[in-house]
Amino acid sequence: MATDAGTADKPAATEPVVFEPRIAAFLCNWCSYAGADLAGISRIQYPASIRVIRVPCSGRVDPFHILRALQEGADGVLVSGCHPGDCHYLSGNYVARRRFAVLHDLLSFFGIEPGRVSFSWVSAAEGERFAEVVREVTEAVRKLGPSNRLAECRSKDSV
Amino acid sequence: MSVEAKLRARARELLEKKEVAAVLGYRAGTRAEVAVPVLISEPGQAETLVLNGYCLQNLATYLPKLRRAGRIAVVATHATSRSIVNLLKERQVERDKLFVLGVPSGELRPVIVDEMFDEVPGLSAKSDDADSAFEARSPQERWDILSAELSRCIRCYACRAACPNCYCPTCFVDASRPRRVGRTNDLSDNVIFHLMRAMHMAGRCVECGACARACPMEIDLARINRKVSRIVRERFGAESGMSLDDPLPLAAFDTEDKQEFIR
Repeated sequence: MATDAGTADKPAATEPVVFEPRIAAFLCNWCSYAGADLAGISRIQYPASIRVIRVPCSGRVDPFHILRALQEGADGVLVSGCHPGDCHYLSGNYVARRRFAVLHDLLSFFGIEPGRVSFSWVSAAEGERFAEVVREVTEAVRKLGPSNRLAECRSKDSV
Repeated sequence: MSVEAKLRARARELLEKKEVAAVLGYRAGTRAEVAVPVLISEPGQAETLVLNGYCLQNLATYLPKLRRAGRIAVVATHATSRSIVNLLKERQVERDKLFVLGVPSGELRPVIVDEMFDEVPGLSAKSDDADSAFEARSPQERWDILSAELSRCIRCYACRAACPNCYCPTCFVDASRPRRVGRTNDLSDNVIFHLMRAMHMAGRCVECGACARACPMEIDLARINRKVSRIVRERFGAESGMSLDDPLPLAAFDTEDKQEFIR
């Protein structure tokens, strides 16, 4: 598991170890993924902490995907879609918003840190905003430290 | 004539006139202070029906399985009637295949009814005032309490079997290609199972308490369900199963929904 972004696993002799979180980012194909693309072609710098998973719409993101990412070792999850009113499928992000609202409240009820799972709206024209969101989310997750609440305890081969 | 005698007489009459194929009600359990569900199809069986403060199980759970059994008369308390409303909205039962025998209890009156009976006291679900105290605790304390509780879960799915909302032919916990949630009782699998179960209850749970009563490990599932109902009530102003006209909250949206949690 310590193949990439695994600085936390390597003890440095002199420098203090900075925790580099791994963040699963579910980006909608039509807005946020294009926004990330724009950030890239505009050479805007942002932390390399995110692992992008392209989804057709933020409405495709099942709460299960988010929980599973945390279970499988992501320290944080970012879900990003089109701004309300701009959904390629007209209402996908509105329906997703209700679902995420319930999940957000439930996670905090269960005592899972609110910063672990973040939601944002980023349009295809907002490359700088995308970079800003990634910076914010990375910083929030870094403050929380490695995710352990939902990380699985059982050994992998006992499934 | 007691309400129980009236119910028996009416059930006999419905079956004799062949207005319904069967009556879904309660009979006495094998020990005191228990009533268990019973499905009767002969007029002579009407005398086995009971109606008292122990008739708490949500009979709507059986209705999707009886879809092809013809018209069913069902004894419906407040909670059962709300589940029936939800099943109608989700198109799991047909209105003309049901004959709802409503049983009020105090302020809790059935919301959908074909024939109303007299009141049976003691059928009210208990609300819990400890909820606000629990929510006032720190996230760490909440996690400690809930994770200790959910770590006891043996994943028997008795809660699912008792729930009128759980009629999916393949439940997400049984889906294997791809596998959704791990089937072990590892803490993370347990917490994810209960979080996903709660998500699926959002806007649909009527807080009948069937899952909590069915749980052999006595996990306080009702606390999680009450929280889900509070979220839906506070965010979307919706009350599950109270009206056939309201949309299901998580299948609908409002462009003005609060989004303070979104960056």
